[in-house]
Amino acid sequence: MAAESMHPESQRHVDNLVSRLRRRQLVGSRQTALETVLVLRQVISKARFSHIDELIGMVKGVGRRLVNAQPKEHTVGNTVRKVLHHIREEYNAVAKGPDNTAKTAFSIANFVLLGQPKKQTGTSRSSLAGSTPHEAKESDGFAQGLRPVLMEAIQDVLDELETVYDNVSKNAKDHLHSDEIILTIGMSKTVEAFLKSATHQRQFTAIVAETGPSYCGHEMARSLSSAGISTFLVPDSSIYAIMSRVNKVILGAHAILANGGMYAITGSLLAATAAHTHSTPVVVCAGQFKLTPLWNLYHEHGALDFADPRSVLGFEEGNLVDKVDVVNPNYDYVGPELVDVYITNDGDHPPSSVYRLIKETYDDEDHEL
Amino acid sequence: MTLSAIAQEPIVEEPSSSDPFDIYSAYRRILSNENVAVPLAAILALSELVEKSRAGTMFELVEDLNKGAEALRQRSSNPIGINAGSELFIAFVTLFPHESESFVDLKTELVKQGRRYAQEALTYRDKIAALTLGFIKDDSVILTHSYSRVVMQALLLAHQRKRISVYVTEARPGGLGIRTCDALTAVGIPCTVVLDSAVAYVMDKVDIVLVGSEAVVESGGLINAMGSNQMAIIAKAANKPFYAVAESYKFHRLFPLSQYDLPTHTADILAFPRSSKRPAASVPRPSVALMKSIPTPALSRTSSTFMSELPGSTMTPEQRKRNPEVDYTRPDLISLVFSDVGILTPEGVSQYLVGMFAG
Repeated sequence: MAAESMHPESQRHVDNLVSRLRRRQLVGSRQTALETVLVLRQVISKARFSHIDELIGMVKGVGRRLVNAQPKEHTVGNTVRKVLHHIREEYNAVAKGPDNTAKTAFSIANFVLLGQPKKQTGTSRSSLAGSTPHEAKESDGFAQGLRPVLMEAIQDVLDELETVYDNVSKNAKDHLHSDEIILTIGMSKTVEAFLKSATHQRQFTAIVAETGPSYCGHEMARSLSSAGISTFLVPDSSIYAIMSRVNKVILGAHAILANGGMYAITGSLLAATAAHTHSTPVVVCAGQFKLTPLWNLYHEHGALDFADPRSVLGFEEGNLVDKVDVVNPNYDYVGPELVDVYITNDGDHPPSSVYRLIKETYDDEDHEL
Repeated sequence: MTLSAIAQEPIVEEPSSSDPFDIYSAYRRILSNENVAVPLAAILALSELVEKSRAGTMFELVEDLNKGAEALRQRSSNPIGINAGSELFIAFVTLFPHESESFVDLKTELVKQGRRYAQEALTYRDKIAALTLGFIKDDSVILTHSYSRVVMQALLLAHQRKRISVYVTEARPGGLGIRTCDALTAVGIPCTVVLDSAVAYVMDKVDIVLVGSEAVVESGGLINAMGSNQMAIIAKAANKPFYAVAESYKFHRLFPLSQYDLPTHTADILAFPRSSKRPAASVPRPSVALMKSIPTPALSRTSSTFMSELPGSTMTPEQRKRNPEVDYTRPDLISLVFSDVGILTPEGVSQYLVGMFAG
């Protein structure tokens, strides 16, 4: 099994991350993604494999453990999938060079899947399946030569994660106009960076909703006003009331789903629906590491993450506690029809093309780790 | 004749036979196999045509194929499935890169490809059923329309893992919904047939709507048995998800702008009768029993029967001819399309079509 062939030190790193995830000592999408990449880098650098499938199996096994530790933190799975995609890409680039297999993997099924033959750059998958026995002997050479290339690819992923905030805020000034009134909710570092970078060239007003019961809106308001943005802090109940005065709603996302919908902090659905009725554009700022190949949306409650009910109804309420069932969901599901555009570190995309981004970023066989 | 039997027939170069190849009878013969859908049957019939064709160049072959497809189209009342399959096969033939030395080898290769695809395509229904499984919650109520083999497979698979109950519409005048109900009840899935007009009545009790398809078109819309559009509109109004299941060979490069843009819409569909003579006077109607004697017509039926045997007033054959067989459902009413190429939003379908035909 892949576990035995993993280096003991890598095993330790994985176990460490697993326990931190399970105990929720590690929170925050970007933070978890960064840690996951570092662990995977460790695993791959110390891994011994004679064939690429062994490496992929190993990474998948690690990914499965990490995802099971904290299934609601989707960026863990996304990062693993992204690394797997890079591994396969690098391997195919190397594997196609020396040998000229290209033995006709053309069939009608491929024609449907991949399009016209002359445009096929991706016959790699089918030719890979067809030529594994032929390449089994040569894979040793590939394996060794592959490691530095893989390390580079992982470094790319790491760089992308580290520059997320800068890339998302690149075109902030084009999205915000002077004297606009922006509504935002919750404490999203991406949105914070976005607004702060725009304030250099544009003067606008930000209205921040408190975001009960965590009240992270307070922190956001404090941070924005310290950057010189004129900020208003309002309770969640007034979101609908002030929506007629708002020009744009800018939200952060926890995860972007394959159908173009998203999980965002509680209260986002309220803001998005209010904006929809007023025909106010809803803009979501998120890094591409939040793209999740997850379709299954209809197990509503089960899909959401729940936080401590104490912030809603504490034990000091005494006799009320056992008479009332308190639910404190962390996230809302906001449907694709309520979002106008996703501003990511790799360009702006409407919700209807999210499925295509996902197809390009991840491989189909990795949807289920 | 099972499909594997067809695939294993030796591929021989026929010496010029005296009768020309009758593609329509080949098509009907292939279609007699329960599991073969219309587009697949068209592809197989065209493969047979390639095998028996005496063309010497690619140009002649493509001409023969086009003529064959036209022949199939003309003799079928609903050419949409045939169009989908034949366009796919002809595009494939035209673009197939080959290293064959002679044209005969190429033809052999093409026939082999066609048969191989058909065999593979039979596994698509299982793939789609597996994809659909994730969207069916335990203890959910599913509404479906008429009879669809893909939907049947999805429901049977779901039944093995979860508890489901199914409402199926009668789907007049064919009455295929009753066939669905019988098949589902036979495996133990609680199933009830509802009137086509009762879809709105039952929609609030339903969790998801799942329908099959005759074709999925370029706009992302759906062509399916008459009544699907109605169901989709009501599902949208009641905020219920509407899922379509379609194998990838049903993707068709058609862009209807309205119901009347479909190739099945002919001049006599929905036409008003020209003579003012009352039909009741000239044609004997099927037995007219009083309505109050039949409280629940659907449930009392134990086997699928033709409409003309139903005790009750029904349409005359002329009136039925003025009604179309299929309708078009707009893409904004469809939540997702489940296909063997994956789960697609309606917009995603055109990506595959463009890849195949536009490139």
